[in-house]
Amino acid sequence: MNIENSKAQMRKGILEYCILRVLSGKPRYASDIIAELKEARMIVVEGTLYPLLNRLKNDGLLGYRWEESSQGPPRKYYELTPEGRTFLGELEMSWLELVEAVARIKSHQETTTEAEKTENN
Amino acid sequence: MKKTFTINISGTLFHIEEDAYEKLQGYLIKLKSHFGNTQEGREIVADIEMRIAELFTEKGKGENKVIINEWVDEVISTMGTPEDFKAQEGEEVGASFTAKRKRRLYRNGDNRVFAGVCSGLAVYFKIDPLVMRIIFVVLFFANGVGLLAYLILWIAVPRAQTTAQRLEMRGEEVTVSNIEKSVRDDAQGDTTAAAAGITPPATKASASKVTASGQADRSPEVARSLLRIIAVTVGIFLIMTGFLGLLGFISTVIVGQTFLADWPVMWNPDLPFHGLLNQFITPSGAAWGVTFLALLVGIPLLAILYAGTKLVFRYRSNNTAIGLIMVGLWLVGLMGLVTVAAREAGNFKSNATLSGSETLYPTPGKTLYLKLAEDKFDDFGEMEADLPRCKAVLADDKVVLLGEPRLDIEKSATNDFVLVVKKQSRGRTQGDANNNIQTILYHYQLADTVLTFDPWYLLGDQAKWRDQRLDMTLKVPEGSTVFLSDGMEEIIWDIDNVSNTWDRDMVGKSWKMQPEGLSWTDAPLPVQDTTITEIRNDTVR
Repeated sequence: MNIENSKAQMRKGILEYCILRVLSGKPRYASDIIAELKEARMIVVEGTLYPLLNRLKNDGLLGYRWEESSQGPPRKYYELTPEGRTFLGELEMSWLELVEAVARIKSHQETTTEAEKTENN
Repeated sequence: MKKTFTINISGTLFHIEEDAYEKLQGYLIKLKSHFGNTQEGREIVADIEMRIAELFTEKGKGENKVIINEWVDEVISTMGTPEDFKAQEGEEVGASFTAKRKRRLYRNGDNRVFAGVCSGLAVYFKIDPLVMRIIFVVLFFANGVGLLAYLILWIAVPRAQTTAQRLEMRGEEVTVSNIEKSVRDDAQGDTTAAAAGITPPATKASASKVTASGQADRSPEVARSLLRIIAVTVGIFLIMTGFLGLLGFISTVIVGQTFLADWPVMWNPDLPFHGLLNQFITPSGAAWGVTFLALLVGIPLLAILYAGTKLVFRYRSNNTAIGLIMVGLWLVGLMGLVTVAAREAGNFKSNATLSGSETLYPTPGKTLYLKLAEDKFDDFGEMEADLPRCKAVLADDKVVLLGEPRLDIEKSATNDFVLVVKKQSRGRTQGDANNNIQTILYHYQLADTVLTFDPWYLLGDQAKWRDQRLDMTLKVPEGSTVFLSDGMEEIIWDIDNVSNTWDRDMVGKSWKMQPEGLSWTDAPLPVQDTTITEIRNDTVR
């Protein structure tokens, strides 16, 4: 079992959720998304984002349009499609469930270990 | 001072230093090969290029307007290399692509003993690497075939370096049954879809049209599968041709004969030059000749082999350097062989002739019986040769070159029988040609009235074939008769006679020299050998 691999797996699912989350407001263009995710320390290298955006777009969760920019060539602005919104909603639910599940397991463990401690004592 | 280029990244112009340019280009090529040449992959690379342009634009806002090496390094570390993506995405992401990918042959660097050839082949055929290694070791002892195959694959097959390549290495199997299966699955998918009524929102009239177009979309896939089968077949044919050709060629050059002669192969290079080559080419010339010939013949055979493996295993290889070296070596071989041939041809430049004549006095007088001596070389193994008027035999493990003498009959100017022997040879110089004549060894002997000719002349112990010739003319006085015994047809050549009889029909008959020429006559039968009492041994030197 490779620890890096496990971490990557964990991060991967959550990264999709984070991208959709970032885009849940107004349309953003790639560099905005990157800046936000980098700040949140969700990605290390930017190159990983593009295949993911592409896949989400091909799956119909994201759409984009070109917008003129004052500082250079036109930019791709991504936004959520209605399907993307539904998808995000489900991911939100699932995320909350996961957080809750992890928290429950942890608290259960803590209580049992404390119980063991008291027994040993 | 540094050279700069102007480049266009996704619509924005930049000035870039030469070394930075090369690094950036290498990086982009890596990205392209990682994401693949699909529409999806191209789009991703275009997006990344756009971002790179943006990063450079930001940096260019300062004093420095030219992209330097350090900027490229920074951009690469920001964007990440395919290896970084792999670490981020984890292996599982790659695995989900596996089904889509075509299997290609790579050398497997993850599990290797030498260069990962066996391991790569094992992955390709989905067998244990150990089995593949054993096969190669066994083949190694079969004339080193395994070693040759290993080296060729080592050079020709690239090592799987990027994630994409590793995935391709383990990609879907390309077998006939798999292709059939995918075609069949497609067909079934269509029928079930049609049965379930899953058709796009359309009227019933257009439903059949949709199915029809669906079939039309699938036909290129069927055609592709067929092409693939043809490509694999051609590839296997090329591999066998190249491989057996190389094997045959190498054994011909080294052993002197091809042991594939009895094999049911499609092409068998049978070049009987070993040994024989030394008979008319100088040793150094022969060595160089064989070397150049090996390049000239071996490289195309290697190329055939390479093309075949490429068709069958579909590996990518961009080894331009080796290709160029091969082309270069082939040209060297070609020019070398032409040079050697020109030099060797120089050995035939000069021509010399030596004539000698002897007056013969057959006792009792007016009739001469001509016969051919026993062929001493008949029992020796004859080597395959294609030299004019010459044959090579293997006598006591030594190659002996034999020439065919020729005998003509003409009218004598005197009242005596005269035998004229003319020897000719070629050589680099007049002196060489003369030396070559000196070594020609030929015997004939007159005993009473019987003139016996050897069927062959020897070219000499150390002699090379230099188009040595020996022509004899027997001058017969008017009124005298010659009897041509059976066997003489071997050496008589175009004898003029009154009845225009062919040489081979002239034997077994007596011929009288009349004023108008040689004419057939009822003459006495040849004397028996027992009547020969005195033997004279004449040698023309």
